[in-house]
Amino acid sequence: MRVRILVVDDHPVVRHGLRTLLGGHPEWEIVDEAADVAEAVDKATTLKPDVVVLDITMPKMSGLEACRLIRKTAPASEILIVTQHDSPHMMREALEAGARGYVVKSNAARDLLAAVEAVSRHMPFMALNERPGDSV
Amino acid sequence: MKLRILIADDHEVVRRGLCALLQAHEGWEICAEAKDGREAVEKAVQLKPDVVILDVGMPNLNGLAATRQLTQRDPHCKVIVLTITDSDQVIREALDAGARGFVLKSDAARDLVSAVEALQRNRMFFTPRVNDMVLAGFLDKGHNGSSTEPPRLPKLTTREREVIQLLAEGKSSKEVACVLNLSTKTAETHRSNIMRKLGFHSIRDLVVYAVKNNIIQVQMPSQLQNPTQGSAA
Repeated sequence: MRVRILVVDDHPVVRHGLRTLLGGHPEWEIVDEAADVAEAVDKATTLKPDVVVLDITMPKMSGLEACRLIRKTAPASEILIVTQHDSPHMMREALEAGARGYVVKSNAARDLLAAVEAVSRHMPFMALNERPGDSV
Repeated sequence: MKLRILIADDHEVVRRGLCALLQAHEGWEICAEAKDGREAVEKAVQLKPDVVILDVGMPNLNGLAATRQLTQRDPHCKVIVLTITDSDQVIREALDAGARGFVLKSDAARDLVSAVEALQRNRMFFTPRVNDMVLAGFLDKGHNGSSTEPPRLPKLTTREREVIQLLAEGKSSKEVACVLNLSTKTAETHRSNIMRKLGFHSIRDLVVYAVKNNIIQVQMPSQLQNPTQGSAA
């Protein structure tokens, strides 16, 4: 299934890394990149990607805000959060903001492809590190 | 002959990005990757890369401690430190540990190739802020005969620094002993010596010390409310 992806992260090195990971799939296309929320919302609205891979901690405005805005301007695009926050609380906030998937950055190499696969089919994908006693 | 580079970062996605960035340069190859400072030191000792790139905020052994270990073994070892912050403390620690390059993670796509090129020519590479700080320290020494450095931290051995990081990450003395291949009794002795040297009475004090001195890095909730500090990638 062809999947068009927008990659959003303020660190170019991370964008490079995400591109490398996602680029291995023959049917997926990185349609563009964005380095901040305004650029992300603008590009998501214009390009209408199938999946927006979105960081949370970015300059000026949080990725959660981007998530809410993209849900309004490009409702068909699914949002996959890729973040350093290995936190059930943050995952809950991301879900409330409209994200369909949540991957911890340190596990991106393991989880990213399965997560994009899932959210591109409008299925949820949530993965934190195991932590006894925590609940989402 | 190709320039051989070792990359260490605990995030694979960052390592992938760094590899893509550096491998695009003709004549360079990534000879190894490591996911923490301990693995980086082991691989560097074994493979003797021309340049080692170390993230500061790594588990088990942070990038600054790994730099210190590598330069102690081989003073000519060329290490570039990658960091999310160029605070005075981190800059001072990196220079003191023997790093020859200092690159902000947020600027890595722009600066890292230049930094490796500089080290390849036996030069150093620092961010403008590091250059300013080094110059200010030099000028200050020239005028006053002494630097404006803050009081030195208590003298800790390399091993004690390793133990501090592991304890601050929540490991027990037994677990510390296991990671460092020591007896539990030796690990407990290191722990007692550290607490005595630093004048601490609880692990909580030690964790605060480790965070303040960039021995470990934690994600602060305030970074979300005030995201201009940038992410740890």
